[in-house]
Amino acid sequence: MNPMDELRAARPAHLGDVPVDEGTRAKELTYAMSRPRPARRRARKLVRPVWGISLAGAAAAVAAATVVVTGTGGTTPRAPDPVAQPGQTATATPTAAKVRLSAREVLLAAAEKAGSQPDEMGAWWHTTSVHRTLFEAAKGGYLVLDQQRSETWTPSATGGDQWGRTRSLGARPATAADEAAWQRAGSPTEIDVKVWRKLGGMRLSTSPGKPSEGHTPLVDGDKVFWLGRNVTMKELRALPSDPGELKAWLLRSYKGHDTETSSIPMGSDAWLFRVSTGLITDMPVTPEVRAAAFRMLADLDSVEVIENVTDAEGRQGTAVAVEEKLKDGVLENRLIFDQETGRTRATESVVVEPGGAQAAFEPGTVWNSVAVLEAGWTDSRS
Amino acid sequence: MTDETHRFTGMYDECRQRVWAYVVSRAGRQVADEVVSETFAIAWRRLDDVPDPALPWLLGVARNVLRDSIRAEARREALAQELRAWTEGDVADQVAERIGVLQALAALPDDDREILVLVAWQGLSPKDAARVVGCSTAAFRVRLHRARKRLKQAMEPAGPSRPQVRNLSEEWS
Repeated sequence: MNPMDELRAARPAHLGDVPVDEGTRAKELTYAMSRPRPARRRARKLVRPVWGISLAGAAAAVAAATVVVTGTGGTTPRAPDPVAQPGQTATATPTAAKVRLSAREVLLAAAEKAGSQPDEMGAWWHTTSVHRTLFEAAKGGYLVLDQQRSETWTPSATGGDQWGRTRSLGARPATAADEAAWQRAGSPTEIDVKVWRKLGGMRLSTSPGKPSEGHTPLVDGDKVFWLGRNVTMKELRALPSDPGELKAWLLRSYKGHDTETSSIPMGSDAWLFRVSTGLITDMPVTPEVRAAAFRMLADLDSVEVIENVTDAEGRQGTAVAVEEKLKDGVLENRLIFDQETGRTRATESVVVEPGGAQAAFEPGTVWNSVAVLEAGWTDSRS
Repeated sequence: MTDETHRFTGMYDECRQRVWAYVVSRAGRQVADEVVSETFAIAWRRLDDVPDPALPWLLGVARNVLRDSIRAEARREALAQELRAWTEGDVADQVAERIGVLQALAALPDDDREILVLVAWQGLSPKDAARVVGCSTAAFRVRLHRARKRLKQAMEPAGPSRPQVRNLSEEWS
């Protein structure tokens, strides 16, 4: 035998193609993806740190952060979309209807409420949210909902670390029908699911996981969030509270293309919607600035309002929505807020036309969501 | 962004163990997880630069991480231990006749061993392997040829003065 063949045959078994164990995989993936990417490429990373989120959670977090407007706007009323009820991840009640003409009023009312919220800074800006993502089981023909709880602490002082803690809440069949199919498949507690574009697939566990915690230094020592560009806490707190000035401030970072990649053109309305959704949902801006963001959205033509929406936590709210045309398929991205307070309840991505990564899901299905449980200042990180 | 997360995890699933195996063959098991973890963190940050197929690129990054972030001493000790494990057959399903080949491989200079491992165990083409070690394909072929010759020599029973595994530590600087 030639020495190379012998060498090939002699490879020690532990250096062969053995699968990586699940714990190591989760740890390494989250370690990698918790790192902010350079502003030019992946500045959004700052908006939703994903320490310790399992893969599914990370996917959900990033997917949910993606909100694009591609609609041309206009005022033509549209028939209500058929709305599926994926298990407890109800989207809207069947009676929910898009009320285009009141979008402006609804947003202005939300602005009023948002503007009168208390705001006293503490040592940390703390958010708690639950990320949910729908997957198709590799076998058995049912859908599985992955659920991850995630907390983030962002320091108000510069030079420190941003902290995160995440925990899998366990995956479960999405609907009653999915549950029946899951039982027929033998009620597996470890479920292999498909991941779009193959690339290996993924395994979800139905049991809740252990919490995992991580931290990472602030980018450049002081940048805390992404708002068209990376911003410091000081800049964030000093944003203009006039809608026109806020818009101008934000648009200074607009370069005519998508927030994620320079190769996809994006209109300024779409860009503004994406950026300001992050501002409203995640960031410790002053109540006046949050109100200004709502007022700014009210002036965008392509924004629609959906009333009586129920988020994944079962809470009622009103949604502002924009459609996002993907290469394959169409999504509707929603920002759901409480009309009484102007506070964000959740962001959701709903399948309008299946395709691409959402090909397996019926129109009307919420394929991922981030429910905000808590967002506020605190002095302790625990 | 979802696409990128999928792309990244897919790349990870496809390549992780091979990157790990490469690092183990270069620096032993103790430091391997750390290097692999750092390698994929870099890959995430530079996802836009990662070519397809990603493996040669990842191995090149791992090689740099190993050089830049692992103390030579730690690497030396860990590798010596790993090579002993190969040749002493502490790996459960080690087959006797393979040990001779592994002993020969362990006895080779570090550069030779790396080249042989990239080709025989990682299955890289000379072109891809050349990219990992940072030389031209032509130069790589020459080095591969020489390494094979030295491997063959080392495999000869009672070959002249086969160096001991421990002496390899002198290869590291």
